[in-house]
This record gives sequence, structure tokens and C-alpha cells, in this order.
Amino acid sequence: MGPSVIRAATPRQEAFTHKHAATIAALPVLGAALVFYLGSTLWSVVMSFTASKIFPDMTFVGLRQYLRLFKDSLWALSLHNLAIFALGSLLSLVLGFFLAVLLEGDVPGAGIFRTIYLYPMAISLIITGLVWQWLFNPTLGLQQFVRDLGARDFVFNWVADPQKVMYALIVASVWQSTGFYMVLCSAGLKGIDHEVWQASRIDGIPKYRMYLEVIIPMMSFTFLTSLVLLSIGAVKAYDIIVAMTNGGPGGHSVLPSYYIVDMYINRRFIALGAAGSTVLLLIVVAFLVALPLINLGLRRRKA
Amino acid sequence: MTAVPRPSVAMTLPNAIPVKHRGAKVTTFLILVFFALLFALPLYVMIVTSLKSMDEIRLGHIFALPQHPNFDAWDTAWNKAASGFTNTGLKSGFWNSVLILVPSLIMSVSIASICGYALAFWRVKMGNLLLSLLLVCAFIPFPIIMYPLIKMTVALKLYNTSFGVSVVHTILALPILTMIFRNFFSSIPQDLIKAARIDGGRFLGTFVHVILPLSPNILVVVAIMQITGIWNDFLIGLTFGNVQSYPMTVNLNNITQTQTGVRTYNIYMAAALLTAIPPLVIYFISGKLFIRGITAGAMKG
Repeated sequence: MGPSVIRAATPRQEAFTHKHAATIAALPVLGAALVFYLGSTLWSVVMSFTASKIFPDMTFVGLRQYLRLFKDSLWALSLHNLAIFALGSLLSLVLGFFLAVLLEGDVPGAGIFRTIYLYPMAISLIITGLVWQWLFNPTLGLQQFVRDLGARDFVFNWVADPQKVMYALIVASVWQSTGFYMVLCSAGLKGIDHEVWQASRIDGIPKYRMYLEVIIPMMSFTFLTSLVLLSIGAVKAYDIIVAMTNGGPGGHSVLPSYYIVDMYINRRFIALGAAGSTVLLLIVVAFLVALPLINLGLRRRKA
Repeated sequence: MTAVPRPSVAMTLPNAIPVKHRGAKVTTFLILVFFALLFALPLYVMIVTSLKSMDEIRLGHIFALPQHPNFDAWDTAWNKAASGFTNTGLKSGFWNSVLILVPSLIMSVSIASICGYALAFWRVKMGNLLLSLLLVCAFIPFPIIMYPLIKMTVALKLYNTSFGVSVVHTILALPILTMIFRNFFSSIPQDLIKAARIDGGRFLGTFVHVILPLSPNILVVVAIMQITGIWNDFLIGLTFGNVQSYPMTVNLNNITQTQTGVRTYNIYMAAALLTAIPPLVIYFISGKLFIRGITAGAMKG
């Protein structure tokens, strides 16, 4: 206590500069958040209501660009694809949880298994797309391999099939991100109290029932986080499309972010790109609002 | 009291369970091996394909080991593969990636750590408001800020330069990195800072002499996350760079997409492996720290 009493007499001015040093240190981040994030978002939202084409043009046109956007069959297709992709990406979480459960307990070589499941996460999505494009190659890849084994009519040409190309993207994306969800689920499983398991052993409850009825509900936070991350991943998906399909065949693997970037960079239609990205933002917001509410609803019903 | 019933349970368990238990363990192990093979398969295919000649690849045995393994495709990929405008292979892209990575790593980590420190220990005016603002920023999808960022980098004469790419990477990393640092620093006992302040420590002095020595782990975790994230980025490099400054991933994509006629998959796979080596090396060396990095950085984007 002694010294602090003495130091309490520190000149006010010094405290003043201290306080300001902290505020100054926070300024670059505050500035970046306000200008580059909020400002940019606002600018795009405003642009979506204007007639801007190659150059910004402040002529207000109301919702006309949104009407145009939703009349574009490619945009509608991209939203449809986004839903498929997001649903398919759930496989990463299911498989990741399954692997995390299997790795619970003393499995020999658990560390090696984890390392193998997770390494795709360290690789660029451009590479993921490229290697899966190669595996899906109809005459030299997996399809040919299975045909050589004897199944002459085997068809696994997903990348070139308009109806199945999204599944090919999902396979590649699940390969890339399953390890990550395994890690998240492992962390969630570790957080569960040891006594829960002991109690179940004493009561003789089989393990699978414990997982279904006790552990999974207890891990709702982990799953909620995972769902948010999965949806953000789906909204963000761009690189993997470029590397694997470039949107083809015939636009059947276009996702909204691909559509928007293409609209800005190649088709040079600012207002339409802005309208698309505003819709994307609304999707994210709706999802972020809906998920906690659903979670709350589930908890209420249980209680 | 509670210890009384347990011994009896423990005594009945070992007799009843082991055989069934061992069977379950073997099954578990086999399933894990199956998935390990499945996950390792693409990497295996990349490696064997990169060591084959095109003549051998045309035979169609994608999983076969190379008959005459050689590094010709690696040499071509690194030195002379055509990527749109030039025939200089991947090596220029490699150096561009390094040139993009180093400044963005330094800028993002230093700015975010100092701000995180200010938010954790000092009464920053409206600090909590800033934190909520950063959380919002972390959820804003990149496409909506892409075009305005292009306009701003053009105005700042940073567009189409490698430093411009670094600046954009820094901007995109700031919200999440600041939150990570702030959360980590908050776990450091406040008393330490108070003691340092009492000893006359100033804002930056306390940061350098007290806080940083306590945080080597978080710095490594963040560095790993940033290095792999920036190295693997494609879209930022593509949109904000130009032919002279494209990172390795863009270079790789150009090599695989601009060639007409025969698709030389041995060269593509060699190029892909060359691009993947730096983050893979970091991954295999850093292990648990990498895991912490991707878990902490998961919200990025």
C-alpha cells in the first residue's frame, strides 16, 4: 500500500498522457473499422439503390437493381447453389463430430490420425480445388480407376455434370474442413465434466445413448459456433469454385460471392454487384439473428 | 459415503466388458484408419502425379506409383511454366508471396496487439463500443466491402502493388486479431499492470517490458494463423495485385487455367505442392499451436 499512496501524487498530467496513449493506440483499429468496414458497407448499400454501371453514378433508382438482380437466372441459381452448398457442408460437422468421438479415449496413434485429418486445412483452397478437379477427371481420374477395376459403366463425372457439380464442390470442401470441425468438437467434448461419464457408467447407460441424449445437447454451444462458421464459409466460398469449376458447367456451380466478384471485376456493373452483396449481408444477418433464437427456443422446450 | 457403492461396480465391470470392449476398440481403430487413408489420398495422388511424365499419366492409373520417378515437372513448374503473360514459372510468385506476407504480418500483429493491450488494461474511451464494433466487422462478408476498398486503394496509389495487397490483408485481419489479443491480455492479472504503472511504467514501456514477455505463445499462434492465411489467400492477391505482384496462389491458378490444349497435370500437381509446402511445413512443425491458431482465427472473414 505504501508505494501506491506515494504514487497517488503522480502529476495529473502524466495520467492524462497515459490515458491518451491508450486511446491513440486504439485509433487505427477504430478508424479501420469505421472507414473500411462500416463506411464501405454503407457505400455499397447506397450504390445498390443507384444507376451506377462502370462508374459510380448517384442517380437514385429505388429497388430497380434488386428487381434486375432477382430476374437474373444466374443469381437465382447462385442462391439455390448456396443452399445446397451450405446444407452439404454440414457433412464436415457431422463427420468431424464422428471422428472426434472415435478419437475420445486412448486410441493408439490418435495424434497421427488428428494430424492426417487436419492437414487439408493448411492448404490453399486453390490447391484443394485443383487436386479434386484432377481426381474427378473423367478419363484419367477416379472414374477411370473404378472402370479399370471392372465396373465398365461406372459414372463419377460430377465436375462436368450440371446436376452434380455442386456435390463435387461439397466433397472437396468437406475434405478440406472436416478436420477443423473435428478439432472444435474435440474441444467441446473435453469440456464435458468427467462425472457425467462416470454417472452413466454406474447407471449402465450405453455409450451411443449417452452421446445422443446427453452429450450432444450439452455441446449445443460448440454446434452453434460450428453452424455460424459453416454458413460464413459457404457465403465466402470463392477460391474453390475458381480452381475447380470456374462456375461451370453453364453457371451451375456459381455461388453468390463468385457472382458478385464477377459482376464487379468482369461485367463492371457496380450497382448490381452492390445489390448482390447487400443481399449477401442480409443473409448473414438473418442467420446470425435466427440461430441464437432457435437455440433459445430449443432450450425453453427442454426446460 | 459415495465411495461405498463404487467398488462393487468396478468389480463387476472388468469381467463383463473386456471382450466386447476390445472388439469395439478394433472397430474404432479400423474406421479411423479408413478415414485417414481417405484424407491422405489427395496428397498421395498429388505427389505421385507430380513425379510422373505425361505419357505415364495418359495410361490412366491415377493411384499407381510412378514407374520412372523424376522431378522434371517440379523443375518446369518452378522455373518455366507459362502463366498467362510470362513463362517464368512459380518462382516469381513465391517471392511475391513473401513480399506480401512480411509487411502484412508485421503491420497486422503490431497494430492489433497494441490496440488489444489498450482495450484490455487501459480505460479507452468507449472501449466496449469498439469491441462490439469489431465483432460486427468480423461478420461483414468480404464482397460487400471489396469494391469500396478497391476505390480507396486506387486513391491511395496502393492499388496493383504488392504493398497494397499487404495493406488490405492488414485491414481484413485487424478486427479478429484485436479481439484475440484483447481476450488473451485480459487473462493476465491486472495487478501486474498496476504494479508496472506504480513503478512508473508508461503505456508503451509496460507493453514492451511487461506484457510482451508474458505472451510468446499467443504471438506464435497469431503469427501461424496469419502466415498460413495470407499465404493461402487468392482473392485479395488477385483483386488488389497485378501481374508483377501476384502471389503464388494466383500464379498457380494462372498456370493451370491459361494453358490451352493438353492439361499437364504433372506440372499442375508439382506447382500445387510447391505452393502448399510452406504452410504444410508450418503445420507439421507447429502442431498444437496451429490448431489453436485456426480455432482462434475461425471467426475471420
